[in-house]
Amino acid sequence: MSLPSLPAQHLSDEAVAAFADGALGNGARGRAARHVAHCPDCAHAVAVQREAVWALRAAPAPTLPGGLLDRLRAVPSTTPLNGHPLALDADGSAVFPAFGTAAALVEPSPPAPDSHAHMSERRVRSYGLLTAAAAVVALGAVGGTVAGTIDAGPSVPAEQSPSAPVRVQPVGGTTADLFFQPAAGAAVFAQTGH
Amino acid sequence: MTDAAVWVPPTWDEVVREHADRVYRLAYRLSGNRADAEDLTQETFVRVFKSLAEYTPGTFEGWLHRITTNLFLDMVRRRQRIRFDALPEDAGDRLASNSAGPEQAYAEMHLDPEVQQALDELPADFRAAVVLCDLEGLSYEEIAATLGIKVGTVRSRIHRGRVLLREALAHRAPGVRPAEPGAHAVEGALP
Repeated sequence: MSLPSLPAQHLSDEAVAAFADGALGNGARGRAARHVAHCPDCAHAVAVQREAVWALRAAPAPTLPGGLLDRLRAVPSTTPLNGHPLALDADGSAVFPAFGTAAALVEPSPPAPDSHAHMSERRVRSYGLLTAAAAVVALGAVGGTVAGTIDAGPSVPAEQSPSAPVRVQPVGGTTADLFFQPAAGAAVFAQTGH
Repeated sequence: MTDAAVWVPPTWDEVVREHADRVYRLAYRLSGNRADAEDLTQETFVRVFKSLAEYTPGTFEGWLHRITTNLFLDMVRRRQRIRFDALPEDAGDRLASNSAGPEQAYAEMHLDPEVQQALDELPADFRAAVVLCDLEGLSYEEIAATLGIKVGTVRSRIHRGRVLLREALAHRAPGVRPAEPGAHAVEGALP
């Protein structure tokens, strides 16, 4: 955004907020600082912004009610998965799509055309499996609690993140591992005994 | 990348424990009351669980912010429609906040009742921008992506929301007079 020329005009509202937040670029910040130093109106406007922020941040944060935490933990066992294609795995546990499988089913192409050519046999088999059953998250369908586990590779850029397994572990059952491939936008499924 | 070899994916339980506080705090700041905040938080995690297939790489926090905030804005719009349908003469210019009274909020949450009430009185779109920026620490660009609006609009809403907040809390911080002529001179520069 462009700041008004100085010193004739005041800072725009957007510039006032951005200046108060230190979010202006170097050039704009310098011009705004020079203007604010000589303009009581704009200095006041910037102070108002900062004081509102301080008041907000000084207020204590609400704390999570205990009962809610229990309900959130129970989401995997209380949430019907309408609309998701369910299937039965070889061991009888239910499976449904998880991380990235929608993209995998529609467009399983990695970003680089080359990747297709070099796709390992395992990956190819995995795509086939995904088409049939997608990622595997075991449902506690047969009287089981489910300790579902997911990971989204938080705050790690996709291109740098390692394959992030999504593991859902049915109690007393098997462990299904879903290896999410950020680069390919596809999920690769593997199952191990447990 | 040595960590990758030993990295263990979190359980759903761990995901809940890691993110529930943050989601609830955001939901409470937005909705202004415990009942709505609980509903919004629960629905956010249900959406997360149901939408794993649509998840694309990015920060998990950003995804949660987007879901929670949009659920909140949907809720406000839905209630506005209901209000307009049911009580056209009472619709007024204030967006639905369904706020618990300040005393109730304080009793339930030990939350600063004045600050929460000042937040509740902001139009929902302004409130969302201010909360995401000042309490959740998102950048303007992240807020723009979360709300699906332009960065300039984000800045305008944040600016206006803070001015309104500061006016509502004017008695709390001596030394600044929000009603000063200067505030209006700045408003004259609205795009």
